[in-house]
Amino acid sequence: MTEAIAAIAHDQHEHPPAGIMRWLTTTNHKDLGILYMSFGGIMFFIGGAFIMAVRAELLFPGLQWLSPGMYNQLFTLHALIMVFGAIMPFATGLNNYLIPLMIGAPDMALPRVNNWGFWILPFAAILLLIPFFLQFSGIGSGASGLGWVMHNTSLDLQSGIGIDFAIFTIHLLGISSLTGAINVVVTVLNMRAPGMTLMKMPLFVWAWLITAFMLILVIPVFSAAATMLLTDRHFGTHFFDAANGGDPILLQHLIWFFGHPEVYIVLLPAWGLIPHILATFSRKPVFGYRAQVYALWTICFLSFIVWSHHMLTSGLPLAAEVYFMYSTMAISVPTAVLVFCWLGAIWRGAMTFETPMLFALGFVAHFGMGALTGMILPDVAANAQYHNSYVIVSHFHYTFFGGGIFGMMAALYYWLPKFTGRMFDEKLGRLHFWLTVIFFNMTFIPQWFAGLDGMPRHIADFALRFSAMNLISSVGAFLLGLSQLLLVYTVVKCVRGGTKATGQVWEGAQGLEFTLPSPPPYHTFETPPAVK
Amino acid sequence: MMNEDEVINEHGKRERRTVRLVVALMLFVAVIYAATFIKLPLWLPALK
Repeated sequence: MTEAIAAIAHDQHEHPPAGIMRWLTTTNHKDLGILYMSFGGIMFFIGGAFIMAVRAELLFPGLQWLSPGMYNQLFTLHALIMVFGAIMPFATGLNNYLIPLMIGAPDMALPRVNNWGFWILPFAAILLLIPFFLQFSGIGSGASGLGWVMHNTSLDLQSGIGIDFAIFTIHLLGISSLTGAINVVVTVLNMRAPGMTLMKMPLFVWAWLITAFMLILVIPVFSAAATMLLTDRHFGTHFFDAANGGDPILLQHLIWFFGHPEVYIVLLPAWGLIPHILATFSRKPVFGYRAQVYALWTICFLSFIVWSHHMLTSGLPLAAEVYFMYSTMAISVPTAVLVFCWLGAIWRGAMTFETPMLFALGFVAHFGMGALTGMILPDVAANAQYHNSYVIVSHFHYTFFGGGIFGMMAALYYWLPKFTGRMFDEKLGRLHFWLTVIFFNMTFIPQWFAGLDGMPRHIADFALRFSAMNLISSVGAFLLGLSQLLLVYTVVKCVRGGTKATGQVWEGAQGLEFTLPSPPPYHTFETPPAVK
Repeated sequence: MMNEDEVINEHGKRERRTVRLVVALMLFVAVIYAATFIKLPLWLPALK
């Protein structure tokens, strides 16, 4: 009897429900990985559409078709969606799919929580977008226009439901991130195959373990700050209300204590996967493994003690300004260790330039520019000039897009044959890379120079002397957006057919996931693999 | 090669470790949330 029940259970276990029920009820790490990545991809295009509207407004000086309030809503939604809706869920999808395969575990430690963590996301996204669309029916004053860190000091300028919806969205996203982070920590610490010691784990797993710890430490602070903002707005508290003894700068401190580590939360997963890709296409082992692990931990630690470099013009005491300047500059040391390890990986390697390698090299080059421009900004004297200018916009897009999104695209192309069992069209992939590089730089280099000339950010109009730079940047942004449709076409074409991929996929690929067939079976490593 | 009893035992140990770790991490989250709400407004003015 028991054996019969076990056989039925095993049968159901092997064959998931068909159709929509599979995706709604799945607790399988690969299914949830695909769901997370698909959600991240969809939100990437929604967030991109919002910024196309912004760039259309900035094509020419003068107000074209947006009111300043609508402009604020659009860039705020763009930022919130790209950071919390696109890059983070995509990276979470990668960890869901890959971590159990990389450490030889059958699944994540908490599969049902994993399902719950994902299905919070679409509701959070709807909650964020509802007030934006309701305003067109005359309901409410639109979505939040406070920027992604929600600490515009003129909080009173915008009332209405938009900020409240954004606050609830932050709480929901926080719950989703925390469940995901706890799941990663427990899986990595508790589910590794015998012989898979911590110092044998792939760097991607290390990077995600560190990212998970960072999330666990900063998300509660962000959520608490959002709760305080909510109680200030509706329940008569005065945490941030200067007129009643509160402190608006406190909100900036709380949010940047979250916001700066958040930058690394976005970047660390990419830093973890790039060494694998560089090593594969250079036909060499990962270079400087231990150095990279220690550098990632050092960056994690430093990211918690530098937050006020975002607030150097808020009237901090000189000693605090100098401290935050030097502590921020100190991050360049472990970051340089990573960059030199990446360069060491390709040094004298037998390199080939398939699409994932191109994106990985693009990542190194563009993230390098983001990091170098970031070295200038914490300088207290220079910061007074650059603060709130387009220099900042250009810098953080070189880190977030040049680092985060280039990294995610490298990962997508690298593991896509593993996910689908089919090779993608290499020519289309390369074309997508070169169009992305050209139009990405066409968009953000002019913003750097407009910023150096003094163009402030967060404005819907600009002085005549910035016209040429904004025109080039806007045209670049439209073409950058359009060229991403090529990615969709390449992925869809790959899913629908193509040359069959081998288990190894790439000649130089290493790691447990490449010992499995492509695509891997629905359940893997039910018997732990032997790791030497 | 582990026998059946050892496999069950190992599975039980892993489950108990998972529960302990999850509870510890959730408590950690709750403490940070509460500390931000209650204490940080008192600590941070030192930066002024």
